Amino acid sequence: MNLPREIHSFLRIFLVFVFLLVPSVFVLAEGVSPHHGGQLVLATTSDPKSFNAITAKETSTTLVTSYMFEGLTRVNGVTMQVEPHLAESWEVSEDGLTWTFHLRDDVQWFDGQPLTADDVVFTFQDLIFNDQIPNSARDIFTIDGKIFNVGKVDDHTVKFILPFKFAPFLWGMTQEILPRHVLKAAVEKGEFNFTWGIDTPPGKIIGTGPYRLVRYNPGERLVFERNPHYWKKSSEGDQLPYIEKIVYLIIQNVDVGLLKFLDGEVDSVSLRGIDYPLVKPREQEGNFTIYETGPDFGTNFITFNQNSGKNPKTEESFVSPYKLAWFTNVHFRQAVAYAIDKKKIIEIVMNGLGTPQSSSMSPSSGFFYNPDVHDYEYDLDKAREILKREGFVDHNQDGILEDLEGHPLEFNLYTNSGATDRVQMAGIIRHDLQAIGMKVNFLPIEFNNLVKKLTADFDWDAIIIGLTGGVEPHFGKNVWSSDGGLHMWFPNQAAPATEWEKRIDEIFSQGVQELDPVRRKGLYDEFQVIVSEQLPVIYTVLGNTVYAVRNKFGNLHPTSYGGIFHNLEEIYIKENYK
Amino acid sequence: MLKIILRRFLIAIPQLVGISLMTFALIQLTPGNFFDTLKLDPQISPQTIERYEKMYHLNEPWVNQYWAWLKNLFQGDLGYSFFYKVQVSSIIGSRLFNTFILALASFLLTWFVAIPLGIWAAVHRNRFIDRLIQLFSYIALSTPSFFLGMILLFVFSQIGGLPLGGMHSPDYEDLSWGGKVFDLLKHLLIPTLAISVGSIGALQRIMRGNMLEVLRHQYILAARAKGLPEHRVIYHHALRNAINPLITLLGYEFSGLLSGAALVEIICSWPGLGSLMLTAVRSKDLYLVMASMMMGGILFLIGNLIADILLVIADPRIRYD
Repeated sequence: MNLPREIHSFLRIFLVFVFLLVPSVFVLAEGVSPHHGGQLVLATTSDPKSFNAITAKETSTTLVTSYMFEGLTRVNGVTMQVEPHLAESWEVSEDGLTWTFHLRDDVQWFDGQPLTADDVVFTFQDLIFNDQIPNSARDIFTIDGKIFNVGKVDDHTVKFILPFKFAPFLWGMTQEILPRHVLKAAVEKGEFNFTWGIDTPPGKIIGTGPYRLVRYNPGERLVFERNPHYWKKSSEGDQLPYIEKIVYLIIQNVDVGLLKFLDGEVDSVSLRGIDYPLVKPREQEGNFTIYETGPDFGTNFITFNQNSGKNPKTEESFVSPYKLAWFTNVHFRQAVAYAIDKKKIIEIVMNGLGTPQSSSMSPSSGFFYNPDVHDYEYDLDKAREILKREGFVDHNQDGILEDLEGHPLEFNLYTNSGATDRVQMAGIIRHDLQAIGMKVNFLPIEFNNLVKKLTADFDWDAIIIGLTGGVEPHFGKNVWSSDGGLHMWFPNQAAPATEWEKRIDEIFSQGVQELDPVRRKGLYDEFQVIVSEQLPVIYTVLGNTVYAVRNKFGNLHPTSYGGIFHNLEEIYIKENYK
Repeated sequence: MLKIILRRFLIAIPQLVGISLMTFALIQLTPGNFFDTLKLDPQISPQTIERYEKMYHLNEPWVNQYWAWLKNLFQGDLGYSFFYKVQVSSIIGSRLFNTFILALASFLLTWFVAIPLGIWAAVHRNRFIDRLIQLFSYIALSTPSFFLGMILLFVFSQIGGLPLGGMHSPDYEDLSWGGKVFDLLKHLLIPTLAISVGSIGALQRIMRGNMLEVLRHQYILAARAKGLPEHRVIYHHALRNAINPLITLLGYEFSGLLSGAALVEIICSWPGLGSLMLTAVRSKDLYLVMASMMMGGILFLIGNLIADILLVIADPRIRYD
């Protein structure tokens, strides 16, 4: 080289600089952009009950199966809208009865076999609609006793023919698809009900999802590994998922789970109201973030028995006639609603982390939630005034009101003794109702006993209980339509007992057939208003979902509906996380 | 002796059938069944629940169900779990072993610490060391084991050094033979301590009481009077007499081996039987409960038999002829 000496030495320095800088630039870039690797450690309170996505549906099972199995569609955890998944597109016929799905052609089962239309037809025809296989999916895909017709058009096209229009159809299509080539033999031998139980070697469970189970140690842990042949790519073209390994520790006691989170062993926990003040101050030092994603979906309500039937064996009324007169009186129920101090429940039971509920849909349920319903602000004077107007007066000055016939206003209130928050809630409500002159005998009983009262004996006055809610209103039909078995206040009615129940029946049978989203929302909005006026159930409060997550992950979009890791395949571990 | 054992085994069969009949009847006479939880799910129809009930013959009278279960039992079939939808035996297998390890560890710790401690306290009666041991025994006795487990977990989360619950480290499979044993011992320490501390307190007090009782006897005075060394008086003459009631107790303890530690198992995430059975009872998972009751019953009978045999060995005055 004939370069002048100065330039030469400059170049040398420059090159050294570049060599020093370049790796650090790379490191910086990797810190912010998604990349593969790492592991996610979570805690769960119970063992899975099965790996069979058809026969078992409880949360401990779906926790595992949701990583391995996928449906034709899926619900976006943020927008709560249905989006394409194993099916890349679909069409619906003019009459709304024939749906044609086009499957992706790049989906492989864990064993390398391609996913085809045969698998979809098999899942519906041979599993869900199989009389020998008890499963709850069948109830979703049965309308007025008629099942769907599912047929293969070609290898990647499936056609569903419905007996009636069914608005939540695309929701239903989130149903997990199972592999025909693996399970056909078990179905033919009649052994499917006991196939893929928890004693199955993990390698034999074949799905299409982003993760596959590689190890299960009962009572200890579940280990998932990334499916390297997963069909999904990120918008930048990266092969998904990013995280290499997911470990679920089975920790039955939630306090121990929290301890492990604070200790750094677990990456995320869901917090209860009582944990919050302990955990919040440690956010900085523990290098984690607390996400409050808003009200959850599990409701708590008080309901009064309006069943006018008689016990067929003893010929006695389920509810004594004078009590039935109170409970069927809408003003009575409204007075109760005014007397419930929701703020106090939130303060005491939920440590401030709750939301008063007035609509029958959770505020987190998005599209179908109607905020403009009748609201009952805590107001004891108003409650007293209503009762007085309805003829409830304390004639004998014993602090308890009497009705027009002189019966003291006294009734039994049940709840299941296992649910401590519900028992606490009942205590507060009892206290509130005593303040307006009702004598409430609070009786916590075993869960099985409570279910028996609700579904078979019907011999109760008032019950505090909860139901898990969702985003799709039609799936609550068994509660709201008057012939439903879970229409708790008066189940299995031959004909609706009241005008408003008749209207709700109409709304649910119209709503399920209405394919126009706006008109459909109008119907369910009306339903929510009717419930808030008639108060067959009097809602109390919803808990708020709160999660603590270590500051380790990118692409995180926590929501109440989806939780923290609903978009798990897109989540990656930040390189600069130590 | 052999005749006695044989006779005991024959009597055990009707005893076990009696236990199973009682248990079965008690579970069936309480309202509801396992599938009640499904009844409150808006998305599950009564027809589906009926299908489930039919699949497991829950729609038949309970006497028929019991009879079917008993017949299967004699063919070695424990039935299906409603919850897990697999054979009961396949769920219990690995957990039985885990619970056994924990029970054995706490059993050994309890007996090997409590017996010498009791003797020591008795020999040094009312001296400072005795008072100290008695004070600690009171505290240990009045601390529930699950609470102690929780405290231990919290303490070790602060100072570190021990795994917080569980039975194996994630890399357990790759460890050497010795490493595996060490890993297991590390995980065993907290639950074993939590279970044993209270039992040590109790057993130590019984041992001390027995020992004091025996030391009052005249033959001890006689032994001392003829000039036997003190250690011979204590260990040869007094101890053999004092330990008899404890052998009977050992028989009872045996039956509690598999069920005694459920709460500690839950707190320490120990993958044992106790927590599994607790859930089974609460959710009315019938055949899983039956299996656990039968195991408890069998262990009880075996424990009593062992205690009786040990008594003959330890005390020549006892005979069964």
